[in-house]
Amino acid sequence: MKNIEISKNKEDKILSDGVNKLTVSYSPHLHTNQSAAKIMWSVFLSLIPAGIAGIFIFGSKALWIISLGIISAIATEGLLQYLNKKKITLNDGSAALTGLLLSYNLPANSPWWLVIIGSFVAVAIGKQIFGGLGQNIFNPALVGRVFLMTCWPKYMTSFMKPLNAGFNVFGSVNYDAITAATPLMIVKEGEALSGLSYWDLFLGRHAGCVGEVCILALLIGALFLLLKKYISWHIPIIYIATVGVFSWIFGQKGLFSGNFLFSILSGGLILGAFFMATDYVTSPLTRKGQVIFAAGCGVLTSVIRLWGGYPEGVSYAILMMNAATPIIDRYTKNRIFGK
Amino acid sequence: MLKVTKSEEPKHNLPCEKFLTPRKLYLPLSQHTGKPSKICVNLQDTVERGQAIAVEDGFISSRLHAPEKAKIIDICEWYHPVLKKAKCIVMEPIEEQEHKFTPREKVNNLDKEALLKIITDNGIVGMGGAAFPTHVKLSPPKKIETLIINGCECEPYLNSDSRLMTEKLDEIFKGVEVICRIIEPKEVIFAVEDNKTEAIKKLHLVFSIKKYKLPNLTLKILKTAYPQGGEKQLIYFLKNRKVPAGGLPLDVGCLVHNVATCFAIYEAVYFDKPLIERLVTFAGDALAQPKNIWVKIGTPIYELFDKGILRFKNEPRKIICGGPMMGIALDNLNYPVLKGTGGFLFLSENYSLGEEGPCIRCGSCVRECPMSLMPTLIDLAARNENWQLAAIYGSADCIECGICSYVCPTRRWLVQSIKQAKIKTPK
Repeated sequence: MKNIEISKNKEDKILSDGVNKLTVSYSPHLHTNQSAAKIMWSVFLSLIPAGIAGIFIFGSKALWIISLGIISAIATEGLLQYLNKKKITLNDGSAALTGLLLSYNLPANSPWWLVIIGSFVAVAIGKQIFGGLGQNIFNPALVGRVFLMTCWPKYMTSFMKPLNAGFNVFGSVNYDAITAATPLMIVKEGEALSGLSYWDLFLGRHAGCVGEVCILALLIGALFLLLKKYISWHIPIIYIATVGVFSWIFGQKGLFSGNFLFSILSGGLILGAFFMATDYVTSPLTRKGQVIFAAGCGVLTSVIRLWGGYPEGVSYAILMMNAATPIIDRYTKNRIFGK
Repeated sequence: MLKVTKSEEPKHNLPCEKFLTPRKLYLPLSQHTGKPSKICVNLQDTVERGQAIAVEDGFISSRLHAPEKAKIIDICEWYHPVLKKAKCIVMEPIEEQEHKFTPREKVNNLDKEALLKIITDNGIVGMGGAAFPTHVKLSPPKKIETLIINGCECEPYLNSDSRLMTEKLDEIFKGVEVICRIIEPKEVIFAVEDNKTEAIKKLHLVFSIKKYKLPNLTLKILKTAYPQGGEKQLIYFLKNRKVPAGGLPLDVGCLVHNVATCFAIYEAVYFDKPLIERLVTFAGDALAQPKNIWVKIGTPIYELFDKGILRFKNEPRKIICGGPMMGIALDNLNYPVLKGTGGFLFLSENYSLGEEGPCIRCGSCVRECPMSLMPTLIDLAARNENWQLAAIYGSADCIECGICSYVCPTRRWLVQSIKQAKIKTPK
C-alpha cells in the first residue's frame, strides 16, 4: 500500500493526493445497519404466514388476489414516480407492502379489476399524492380498502366459505356459489353463531378477507416483528384490549354481558392492530402518543361494531385515528431532560 | 441511551508510546471554550519549554505554553479541526536534552487560592472534549456536594482515558485530592464503564488500600453505553438528578471532571508542568497498529507518519478528529493535536451518511435521544425555517451526541439540522 505523501512545503500544505480521496462528511461516522427497505421487507415477510393460511383456507383464488394486489401496487408506484420524474424507489418495499396489505383486506372471491382499482387508489391517492413515502396522512392500504367499500359494497361484503381444510387448494371450485356471512355479520344481524368454536375463529375456518382470518398465522408474524423490535407492544396490545373490554362492557344483553374473546378473534382486528395501526408513518411518535392512538382505535372500532352501520370498524377506526396523529404528536411530545 | 455493538469497537488498552520530538509545532490560540488567548511573545523569539506564549483574555479563557524549547517562526492561519482555519503560533523546536520538571516542594502547605492559581497559570482545560477552562469550573458560585470523576470514555473507539487509568492511577488520585482541597465536596464518585477491565482491576486495588484523603469515596461501575460520558447523563445515572435544561451540573450540586484533567492537575501542582502534552488514541482499520501516544500539544499528525510511529495498512478514506459519533472529518493530515483532542480515527471505508431518505416516522430518534427531544420534528421545523417550533421541540437542549442520525433508518441528517436550529433559535 502506497503511503500518503506529505508535502512539507508551506505553500502547499494540503496533501498532494489525499484531498480528493478523503471523504469529508458530517458526523456521526457510524451508522446502524438499519434501513427503511429492511424494515418494510421484514414486515412483508412477517405477513407471509397469514397469506399461506389464506391460500389454504380459500384456495388458489386467494393466491391470485394477493399476487395481483402486489403487482398492481408496484406498477402504480413505478408508473407515478416515472411520470413525475421522481426517483424510482420500488426496492424500498413500501409499495409491495401496501399491495399485500390491501389484498389481505379483500374477500377471496373479489373480481380482478376490484383488486387493481384498490391498489391504484391505495398507492396513488393514499400515498403518492401526498408526496410519497413518509408524507401520507392515512394508511394507504386502508384508503384503498375504504374506497372499494364505498364504491362496490356488494363485492366487498360477499365472502366465500372456506374450503375443506385445504385438500383441494388448486382444484377447480365454483367460487360464486358458496358465499357466506362473516361471524361479525352474523352477530350484527342478531343471529346466534352456530357451530363455530373459538378454535375455528383462531385457525380461520370461517368466511372473511384473505389475510385476516387465520389469527394463528398473524400472531406468528406479529411475534417476529415484536422480537425484531420493528414494532412495540403498545399499539397492538392496547388496541386489542380496548376492543375486548369495550365489547364485554357493552354486550347485547346488557352491561358486562359481551364476549371478550369473540370480539378480539373475529374480523380484521388482529391484522389491523399488529400490521396496520402500527404503520410508522401514520401513527404517533412517542409511546405516550401511541397509547392514546391505540385506545382511540379500540373505542372507535367497538363503537362502529356495536352501534354503527357496518359489522366491522377496524379500517375506519384506524383511518380516523390516523387523522388525529399530528395533534396527538403535538400534545404528547417528550418532556425535555431537565425541564 | 445506546449500546454501541462490540464489533464497531476495537480492543481496549492499546499500548502506550511517546512521541516528543516533532519538527514543527502549530499552536492555535483557540483550543478551549471561551475567548482565544492573547499572544505574549514576538516572532523570532526563543522560548523555553513550559514558558507561557499566550495568556488568558478574560476569565473564561486559558493560558498557552511552549511544549518545547523552540523558536517562534511564524504566526499565521493554520488548520484547526473545529474552526477549519485559525490563528496559530508556529514554532520550531531546538534540539536539547530532555528537560525535566522539578517537583514542587511543600505541596501540602498550599492553600486553595494558591492551588487555583497554579491551575490557571498552567493552562489546564477539561480534556474530555469541550476543553472548558478548569480554573473556571473550580471556582463555582455554589457549594459542590458531589465531585464526579469521569472515567467513562466519551466515545466508542477512543480509549486514552482507559489507558491513563491503567498506567497513572496514583497520579490521577493525587489530582483528585487537589480538586477536593479546592472545592471541598461531601463525597467523591469515581465512575468507570464495565468494558475497561484492566483499569477496573487497578481501581479495586486502590479502593482496597484507602490511601487517599478523599471524603466518602465510592466506585461506580456502569454498563458501557453512549453517551454516558456526557456530564448530564452521568449525573443522572449516578445521582438520579436531572441537571435543569440550560443549567449546569453545579445547579444540582455536582461537578464532573475527566480523569485526564485530574492527571494534568496533578502534573501542574506537583511538578509545575503546564498542559503541554496529552495522551491521544490513534485508531481505525487503516492503521497497521492502533496506538495510544503521548503527544505534544500542537503536533501536526503528519509528523507521526513521517517518523514512522504510525503506519497505514490500508489507504485511509476517512480521517476523523475525535470519536466516530461526534468527531470531525478532516481533509488532510496537517491538523494539530489540541488540548481537547482525545483521538484520531483513520478509517479505510469512506463511510458517510450519504443520501437522505424521507422520514418514515419510525420514532427511533425520539426514543433514543438522551435528552428526550423530538429530533425528527425539530428537523422538520428547521427545514421549514420555523425556528420557534424547533425550540418548542427542544433544539436548544441538544447535546449533539449524534445518536439520532446514528439510528435513523433513512439516514437523515438530523443532528446537522438541529445544530442549525440551535444557532438560529431566537433567545
